[in-house]
Amino acid sequence: MDNSITGTDLIPAARKEGDALVLSIRGELDLHNSPTLRVDLMSLLNRAQPKRLMLDMAQVPYMDSSALAVLVEVLKRMLKSNGRVFLVGLQPRVQGLLEIARLVSIFTVCKDEQEALAM
Amino acid sequence: MSPLKLRITSDPANLAEVRQDVEKFCAACGFDEESSGQIVLCVNEALANVTRHAYRGATDRPVHLDAEFGDGLLQIAIRDWGRGGTPPDRLPPRDPLQPGGVGLVCLRKLMDRVEFTPQPDGMLLTMERRLGERRHG
Repeated sequence: MDNSITGTDLIPAARKEGDALVLSIRGELDLHNSPTLRVDLMSLLNRAQPKRLMLDMAQVPYMDSSALAVLVEVLKRMLKSNGRVFLVGLQPRVQGLLEIARLVSIFTVCKDEQEALAM
Repeated sequence: MSPLKLRITSDPANLAEVRQDVEKFCAACGFDEESSGQIVLCVNEALANVTRHAYRGATDRPVHLDAEFGDGLLQIAIRDWGRGGTPPDRLPPRDPLQPGGVGLVCLRKLMDRVEFTPQPDGMLLTMERRLGERRHG
């Protein structure tokens, strides 16, 4: 069974893994493209309806507060349905922003996909 | 060292190039990668706030960024001609799950001095960061 889902420029890889939706995000995320990221993420969530969402951020070297707000919106939506959100492969600058915003403990942060899938 | 002068519009499409220019300037000043990243983040957040708040989302309005470095002190000035208000000196506690406010938190935590000076026709934001002083979020 093919579990791959058509991706987008910002989310080039998307697939289902059991009850999890695994998305790879790519590129610098800022006020210019965060509205597109929001639309892409919400569309994929609507289609897949996952219990767990894994966002692989290894290819995101930079993120600003507008993109962070998108992730928080996604998190709140997942929490409403008792879902969980895992952030995987955070680069230092992205991790730094999460720390400043006091969101590290609210998301589940994992070093890689295997660790996230095992939780 | 020559100052950095950027004359841009409020279009968020400019943010990536501004980040590159500021990062190069910070590196030339002697800031390490972590500090440069923090300064770049603050500039990005300040410019995004200009677009969102001062210019109410308009993308064709002028923004001037001037950065200079001397005696170990980096000074960055961002001027707009919009209608943004002056944020409070002390930010109230924020719920991390509520939107908004992260940009200002970054400025207050990561820069040594942040000052909003209302102008008759807009706002002047001045930020300072001293070389060698590490800041932590």
